[in-house]
Amino acid sequence: MVNKTAQMKIQQMSFMLLAVFLFFSLVGMIIITVKMSELRNSATELEKQNAMLLATKLASSPEFSCGDVYGTPKTDCVDLDKVMMLKENIKKYSNFWGSSNIVIMRVYPTNKTIVECNPTNYPNCSSINLMGKALAGYDASNFVALCRKEKDKGDIVTKCEMGQIVIRYEEAK
Amino acid sequence: MRKTRKGQESYGLLSRKSGQEEIVGFGLILILVAIIFIVFIASYIRKSSDVNDADYEANSFVQAILQYTTSCEEENLNNLSVQKLIFKCQQKEACFYRHMDPCKVLNDTIKGIARESWKIGAKNPNKGYSLIINMSESEQLLNITEGVVTNNYRTGLQDFGDPHGEYIIILMDVYT
Repeated sequence: MVNKTAQMKIQQMSFMLLAVFLFFSLVGMIIITVKMSELRNSATELEKQNAMLLATKLASSPEFSCGDVYGTPKTDCVDLDKVMMLKENIKKYSNFWGSSNIVIMRVYPTNKTIVECNPTNYPNCSSINLMGKALAGYDASNFVALCRKEKDKGDIVTKCEMGQIVIRYEEAK
Repeated sequence: MRKTRKGQESYGLLSRKSGQEEIVGFGLILILVAIIFIVFIASYIRKSSDVNDADYEANSFVQAILQYTTSCEEENLNNLSVQKLIFKCQQKEACFYRHMDPCKVLNDTIKGIARESWKIGAKNPNKGYSLIINMSESEQLLNITEGVVTNNYRTGLQDFGDPHGEYIIILMDVYT
């Protein structure tokens, strides 16, 4: 009788252990599945965060910033003349800002159609696609003042317009 | 007979005790699983709330707008920036060219820039915006509100002093 009870107890115990093991494996599998599906989302999210950070700091980088050229140093000011020269030498900066595509667009005054800037039509244009890549994927943007020097009635004057730095990034595959 | 009854009683007592222990064990396992579940959910929620959109866009907008070159000219025929135009509007000095009203130029310029910069509407992430330029003594130079005002908003703020010692505050709210 005692033997039988002990056997029953062992059996009970083993069933319990098996059930607990199965339960935890099931929970573990669910967690792994959820984590794996999250991995792609977090990779895209990371790309987005990087693009946002790049959009905020790009206007302050020496390749873009106005510096002291337009009077006192200004924040969120992009020297458009400098950017045009940068576009001419963009091959030297091919991997400098990662794989993102950088586009600088004029927001106001508006252009009816988007005209890509080149040395012949500048400054009568509205967009500078710095890397020259196709405009696919998601984007993060930031507002900047687009300043340049212009000849007006024989004088060299400063002209600042409203613009946007757009960083395009692709979804993680 | 008495022996058998005694044995049955002790067996019943033993099995009841063992049953209680099993229930306690089962309860402990349930508590353990609940704790693991709560830790998992808590870490998941904390991670998702870490992602927040900063107000950098509204702040940059205010910074950039101040540098915009307007159509209002000074005596030396230089066009004024929005920042200088705010001072001119405050002093109620007319623009040199065509004697334009600086406050009207300021209003039209900022309205135009905001309209083109923030695309608002039901299908857009931004539902509306408001831009206020205040002077320190609660005098309002400009107040533009477009679209729908909601409880979720991002704020951009810039304050600066003018040459006459007045304090100017620019406040931009973008409603999402």
